[in-house]
Amino acid sequence: MFKAKIRSEVLKEVIDVIATQVDEVKFTITTSGINAKAVDPAHVAMVDITLDKGAFEEFKAKDTEMGINIEKLREVVKLTKSGETIAMELDEDHNRLVLSLGNITRNMSLVDTAGMSDPKIPGLNLAAKVTLELDELRKGLRAAEPVADHIALIADENNFELRADGDTDFSSLTLVKDQLVELSCKEKQRSLFSLDYFLNMIKAVSSAQNITLEFGNDFPVSMDFTFADSKGKVSFLLAPRIEND
Amino acid sequence: MGVNLSALVDFTPISLSHLSGKIIAIDAFNTLYQFLSSIRQADGTPLSNSSGKITSHVSGLFYRSVNLLQEGIKPVFVFDGLPHPLKTLTIQKRREIRNRAMEEWEKAVKEGDMERARSKAAQSSRLTPEMVEEAKVLLELLGIPHLDAPGEGEGQASVMAAAGEAWAVGSQDFDSLLFGAPRLVRNLSLSGRRKLPRRNEYVSVTPEILELEVVLERLELTREQMIDMALLIGIDFNSGIKGIGPKTAVKLMRKHGSLEAVMQEKEVNIPKFQEIRDLFLKPVTIPARSLEWGAVDAKGCMDYLHEQFDFGTSRLESTMSKLAKLKSSRSQKSLDQWF
Repeated sequence: MFKAKIRSEVLKEVIDVIATQVDEVKFTITTSGINAKAVDPAHVAMVDITLDKGAFEEFKAKDTEMGINIEKLREVVKLTKSGETIAMELDEDHNRLVLSLGNITRNMSLVDTAGMSDPKIPGLNLAAKVTLELDELRKGLRAAEPVADHIALIADENNFELRADGDTDFSSLTLVKDQLVELSCKEKQRSLFSLDYFLNMIKAVSSAQNITLEFGNDFPVSMDFTFADSKGKVSFLLAPRIEND
Repeated sequence: MGVNLSALVDFTPISLSHLSGKIIAIDAFNTLYQFLSSIRQADGTPLSNSSGKITSHVSGLFYRSVNLLQEGIKPVFVFDGLPHPLKTLTIQKRREIRNRAMEEWEKAVKEGDMERARSKAAQSSRLTPEMVEEAKVLLELLGIPHLDAPGEGEGQASVMAAAGEAWAVGSQDFDSLLFGAPRLVRNLSLSGRRKLPRRNEYVSVTPEILELEVVLERLELTREQMIDMALLIGIDFNSGIKGIGPKTAVKLMRKHGSLEAVMQEKEVNIPKFQEIRDLFLKPVTIPARSLEWGAVDAKGCMDYLHEQFDFGTSRLESTMSKLAKLKSSRSQKSLDQWF
């Protein structure tokens, strides 16, 4: 059983975040909220998103799951404005999700979840932890975009740097400890990532103010942020590129 | 060729850049056939040089390989060794089809039916030992490793992928899944469009991936049962049971669990089924060897393609310059190694 009401902009962010990885997703629903985990087809990146029941305007559920086509859901959300409410009810007998917004009712057939495996979350021990304003990160990525197709995340005890080394050009965003919300890193850490993947994920974030990056030496990076008054949590994971492998 | 599961499973589109840094074991015969049958002129004549030597296979192999290298993909081409005795009948049938197609092609050209001519010409494609040698010379000039399987190339490629020596198998066939490859990538093509067989229409094609685990979950079968299912439908090594297609076969396997049980229920017999099963479960392969991607011999490549196959120098130069721009290899890791 699943019956809920949600604000349009919250659902939109959920959709944007999941769409960075997959077209179809399985939501696991419990009495305390909903969760989805999805890995992109090349297994380079993944997302783990949780929405507490407090992120909903109304929420009633028993343990269940539902398979959703993300693009179909996006079409429905596009019919609404920010601040409007969308009502959802899982109709398990007919294997569909019934959405109501204003005077519109939309029955959406569910996707078969049989072929959707539950991705495991790797247990990582990452030595550098950096929390910064999302706008700063966006600026650094924008600066890197024309320069190279990859970026390096570098941290030491006092600095965080996001740098792109191209064939001829170079770009760097450097922030000292005081300019960061948080920096914890004992020894210098450096990993390289695909700029395409990185941008794709960051572009999906709309409402968060800060983002926490955790990385190591040639390790995946995790990018964590909250939305919907901290009732929604997202953790992205991106595998590194290794130089001269 | 091979078993056709397209009625039962869906591929997931994947962009070439997602495959960057990954090793793909490519079924070489399957790929060269693809070039020979598709790279043809409107009336079905394959591309050839001034002395009439066919160049479709080298043209396809060259441009496709450059495309893959540009994306940072590491291809390894696996060639077929000796065909299994059980395949004799299939090979004989293919030869008959080819000879018949050759006659019908000539007839269609005379009658001016170009659509039919092209289709018949494609069916008459023949991969000669000489073409295979030419392909190997080109791969060496491109610094791309290749190896000769003792048996089926697809079997060797699949075993390499299952052992983690390659990330996926590249082939248009489903058989690599029967051989146990964890991932199958098809349409590693460069043109972005492919002609529909026997129709004067093109469809846009993009690389697609199929994962063994997902397929088995969707079919609700084990790999062993999927092999049994393929035997019921019919593959290169047997002709299957008349009237049983993919959908019926999967239902029968789910219900009865094994080929033996299905054969008893349906009162049919598939000769040598255990031998065919073992072909997939224990394919003849050679042990792993370290694969190396060498530097591209740009001058050697250009000379070879220009002198032997009359490739135009200006197009060759522009293609080679793309390769020269390749940066030092940065390889994209997958998350799998941290699970």
